[in-house]
Amino acid sequence: MPDVTFTVDGKKLTAPAGTLLIEACRKAGIEIPAFCYYPGLSLQAACRMCVVRQEKVPKLQTACTTTVAEGQVFTTESPEITQARKATIELLLGNHPLDCPVCDAGGECELQDMTFRYGAGESLYTEAKNHREEQKWSPAVYFDRPRCILCYRCVRMCGEGMDVWALGIANRGSSAIIAPNGGDHLDCEQCGMCIDACPVGALTSDTYRYKTRPWEMNHVSTVCTHCGDGCKVTLGVRQVDDGAEIVRGDNRDKSGINGDFLCAKGRFGFDFVDSKDRLTKPLVRNAAGTLEPVTWEHAIRVVSNKLKEIRDSKTENGGGSSIGVIGSNTGTNEENYLLQKFARTVLGTNNIDHIRTTDYAAFVRAMAGHEHRAASLRDTETAKAILLIGGNPTEEHPLLAWNIRTNFRHNTARLYIATDSPIKLERQARQTLSLPVEGYESLTAFLSGDDSALGEIENAKTFREAVNAEESLLVIFGQEFRGAAIESLVKWGLAKENVKFAYLGDYANSRGAADMGLSPDLLPGYIPVTTPGAFAEEYPNLSTQPGMTAPEMLDAGCRGELAALYIVGSDPVTAYGTDPAALKRAFVVVQDIFLTGTAALADVVLPAASLYEKAGTVTNTFGDIQLVKKAADKAGVKPDFEILVRIAGGMGADVKKLVPFGRGSITVPAVTAPALSVDFVPTPRPIPSLRGIHGDLGQSRGAHSGEADRHAVWLAARGLELRLSPFDPLAALDEIERLVPSYKLDRLNLFAGNDVHSEPGFVPVASLTAPTAAELILPAHDGLFTSGVLGDHTKALVELNSYQESISQPVAEAAAD
Amino acid sequence: MSIARNIAGIAKGMSITFREMLEPTQVENYPDGPGPLRGAKFEQRFRGKHELQRDENGLEKCVACFLCAAACPSNCIFIEAADNTEEKRISSSERYAKTYNIDYNRCIFCGYCVEACPTDAITHGHGFELASLNATNLVMRKEDMLVPVASLTAR
Repeated sequence: MPDVTFTVDGKKLTAPAGTLLIEACRKAGIEIPAFCYYPGLSLQAACRMCVVRQEKVPKLQTACTTTVAEGQVFTTESPEITQARKATIELLLGNHPLDCPVCDAGGECELQDMTFRYGAGESLYTEAKNHREEQKWSPAVYFDRPRCILCYRCVRMCGEGMDVWALGIANRGSSAIIAPNGGDHLDCEQCGMCIDACPVGALTSDTYRYKTRPWEMNHVSTVCTHCGDGCKVTLGVRQVDDGAEIVRGDNRDKSGINGDFLCAKGRFGFDFVDSKDRLTKPLVRNAAGTLEPVTWEHAIRVVSNKLKEIRDSKTENGGGSSIGVIGSNTGTNEENYLLQKFARTVLGTNNIDHIRTTDYAAFVRAMAGHEHRAASLRDTETAKAILLIGGNPTEEHPLLAWNIRTNFRHNTARLYIATDSPIKLERQARQTLSLPVEGYESLTAFLSGDDSALGEIENAKTFREAVNAEESLLVIFGQEFRGAAIESLVKWGLAKENVKFAYLGDYANSRGAADMGLSPDLLPGYIPVTTPGAFAEEYPNLSTQPGMTAPEMLDAGCRGELAALYIVGSDPVTAYGTDPAALKRAFVVVQDIFLTGTAALADVVLPAASLYEKAGTVTNTFGDIQLVKKAADKAGVKPDFEILVRIAGGMGADVKKLVPFGRGSITVPAVTAPALSVDFVPTPRPIPSLRGIHGDLGQSRGAHSGEADRHAVWLAARGLELRLSPFDPLAALDEIERLVPSYKLDRLNLFAGNDVHSEPGFVPVASLTAPTAAELILPAHDGLFTSGVLGDHTKALVELNSYQESISQPVAEAAAD
Repeated sequence: MSIARNIAGIAKGMSITFREMLEPTQVENYPDGPGPLRGAKFEQRFRGKHELQRDENGLEKCVACFLCAAACPSNCIFIEAADNTEEKRISSSERYAKTYNIDYNRCIFCGYCVEACPTDAITHGHGFELASLNATNLVMRKEDMLVPVASLTAR
């Protein structure tokens, strides 16, 4: 659309023709109040708050439905408009209870703000207000009918945004009410988006109900610890006796990669942090064979002495290669990096792995050397055509599903779906293809032109024609693809121009675990241990012999060939179905937040901090890296990073070599004179890779470091040194950036809380190694309310899961009507 | 001569002393006065230790809206809110203050909390004997400030 010029309040504005006036004004910094208008949803014009005066039009116009055209003249603030808005508020307040002191929305309520701005606090009505009791619609959602102002945001959010259509309007005119699909309860995805969209306190959440008030909390933006999408979630944190407690999860500033969206897990699934099952004391197995609480000093001493003894032992069953290390899918990149560095340099073993849920190694191997071919999660919102093969985004990647729906709604994106069973996103699909369960690999061959590959499937050829006719395509594929199947699919796509790829995996940082070299044959950045390149200089005595995979380690442990197992944040014994009794002979150390099946048989259990209790970065399944900030605090636990550094220190390793902190070989960039003036704003620039400079930018100190943060960021922007500690995970980020080819990060953006995309195309093609055995990949397939071990300990999610199971009909049935 | 002048001077001075001695007492006789207040007298508006009020049914008036804590310039009020249930009803609204602490180490008795309170739940009482040798004693809990139910029936 061509740009047009129009006048608002005497200011000349320019915007593309057809832009909504309210949007054009907001972009220009002119605020027009509105209750019913919500960016991205259909227009309602129900609330009449956004009325403006347009020249030559007899009546006031609603800015949310007026599109701009050349030469129009608007007035957005005048006594007449103020009077109109005041009258609107007075009508809204006609039956709105004045229970702001107890209302959960108090302090964040748009109606409250508008009443404050326009008045109408005094009502002319003498009639008594029509009170209705609050209703509990689901374990997550409460509805207080008198508070509702009928803006219909929730109805549109649920229908258009979520494609769930669980909310509707019952009755007409002044009797209209918002009603849930179950009559008196909600049968839906329990995402809580209706609560988020509600401008008043009509829809409130169970988890936050009457807990506190918005201004009483510290709001910490971090990354959700559940699925692989990596939504930004803002946690409301309050101080309590044993640390800081999370009282709310929400999407407060909508500034993250997830935009408006947050699902049930991000919004409600944080109470595992305060679970009674949380480990808060280090446990060491005593002579009687039971786990006994001990001090941290003692536990660290036991672990480091024993590991040192095993490493230095010259017997057959000794030395570094008799120690196995298994890492986590939910730890930060820094912790994973440190863990493999600890294993490879301090323990001297390549026996390091994690429970692989997704074959990222094969994906990156296929993408190596091809830049700009890996899709960011943001691309899913703008791609013109999307080919989804396998996976079920609605259940396993709610944000991806949201983005695809949004893209479909706003840009009429063409979605092609090929799966073995029907999925909900088919409602948005242009074409679907029903594959046999084993048909994913043959699909690639079929797409490349082999007619016989798929056998007889309905619509297969038209599907292929349509996909191949797309000029640009975003190929998203699920965990059905592994090893060679990924390679051939990516090869098919790379042969075409404008094809990007995304691979769907589980867990908050499964991608990061793979990227950071938690594998026996690959160093960070998928550099093979056989040809370590730069790592050979960095890591003293790096073995070039690939180590054992996680199942091999457990088997070796059972056979008594492995003297020690060091396990961080994972439960391999349960995952691989190992017999716990068989591992008795190995010295097992577990760092975890719960007493998992593996932890229960360990010799030493170290209570670790969850992702909400530490700082660092995580990488989502699309390769978008985001900053994790410390929100909650729990007495007794320590972040995995700190535990590892302490154990390495206890073993006599040079901690400064392990974590590049403090002064050292630092090159401070020249600070020019203007850079020191207070008003100077540094231009965003990639910060050169410097050894050991960057330090604590405040994030590790958590929620209470506003002032210190600004100071630290100021220092960092000028390349001045900060005080550093070996327990500062961000000190390791510097080394990651230097050594991992795909992690060339725009730090300013990262630290500002934005997502930064990694580029697997930077991985050198030379790093091609044999593909991972497909049986090593154990997809988790966590749904809307499950999240592995975390989900089991999250009361809110367990409750939602059993509630939905008790009332829900299968999705296919619901989709049919 | 000078002796006479001196005696006259002393007599003049002492006459004021003796005259005032016989006048009624002007100052408060605290702490030797009668009654529970031991002679202390207050203006109605005196801002002493806070009292948390109850309504006519004996329920707490505080609904844990946190406005007092928000208004407090010295940040000395700490509240934790909780739901009322059918079985356990503490306040007349949906919510009540599970914890209500005022840290009298920090309180400056400005009265903003009382002004902010939408339910008139917090008021300034006349308690002023707050001195303590242990600063931790100065963090008062809800139980320390809540008016007893007995005082309602006595009225």
